[in-house]
Amino acid sequence: MKELITYMVKALVDHPEKVEVFEVNGGQTSIYELKVSKEDIGKVIGKQGQTAKAIRTILSAVSSKVRRKSFLEIIE
Amino acid sequence: MDTKTIEIEGKTIDDAIEKACQEYDLPREKLNIEIISEGSSGFLGLVGSKKACIRASIMSIDLTMESPPKERMESTFTAAQSEKADVPRTEEIKESLAAKAKEKLDGILKRMGLDFPVHVEETSETIILKIEGDGSGLLIGKGGQTLDALQYIVNKASNKNGKGRKRIILDTEDYRKRREKTLIALAEKLGEKVKKTKKPVTVNPMNAHDRRIIHLALQDDKQLTTKSRGEGAFRKIIIVPARKS
Repeated sequence: MKELITYMVKALVDHPEKVEVFEVNGGQTSIYELKVSKEDIGKVIGKQGQTAKAIRTILSAVSSKVRRKSFLEIIE
Repeated sequence: MDTKTIEIEGKTIDDAIEKACQEYDLPREKLNIEIISEGSSGFLGLVGSKKACIRASIMSIDLTMESPPKERMESTFTAAQSEKADVPRTEEIKESLAAKAKEKLDGILKRMGLDFPVHVEETSETIILKIEGDGSGLLIGKGGQTLDALQYIVNKASNKNGKGRKRIILDTEDYRKRREKTLIALAEKLGEKVKKTKKPVTVNPMNAHDRRIIHLALQDDKQLTTKSRGEGAFRKIIIVPARKS
């Protein structure tokens, strides 16, 4: 999952080397914290949050397969 | 001596060269600069803006003779098309968009644990990527949202540098065609209702592609008019009875 997020985000940003994903695991849920270079934050969020929404949609599709819940947070 | 070559993008060529200088921490006279593409600000700086792209390497011999980068730059500029190094480069870009999109999609699918084969179809305006599904519908999601999300990401990732943009469409299990049929059926059903009750009917919010199908399905019906109302993700179609003229 972490790899999936990293891969997608790296494809979208200008500074792929600065992409970091941290995973926080709970019982039924996982939280993924995404950190990107400052200039790239806008790219990851997108117009009206469209990109972030798309990433989250894909994430929830994958996690529904393994019966878990995943959340993506973009941190500065 | 370090002879590696790097490719740098910038808003303008000067911008890119400056970045290259910073990268190597050398003055521009000490660098070999080759222009791959000149930038353009596009129409009013809004539509079709392109980034300038240069290839830079450290000059292996300290040539302090004439041929400072500035002059070199201008000569490559005018002869850009005929320059040997440029020819394979442009071809590469043309054919690679579909390949690049496929590669991105393959990469995402693999990491989703859905390693399905992808078939590419290309027309003059669009690239259609068909994913061979397993029939589970996991890739489609509710109302096609997963497929649309993937399509959006692949589009963003592949059209990032703005060269030879093409729309990329993702499809699996013939979903797009099925969706179109459902929408046309829905449009006809609602159209009948409007004709019977003579009252406007609002359809659920939809994306641009779905709305278009509904508009097209009802455009030939003289008794009905379709309108879109609302903003962004909440934009929806209203079917109203046409005024008698």
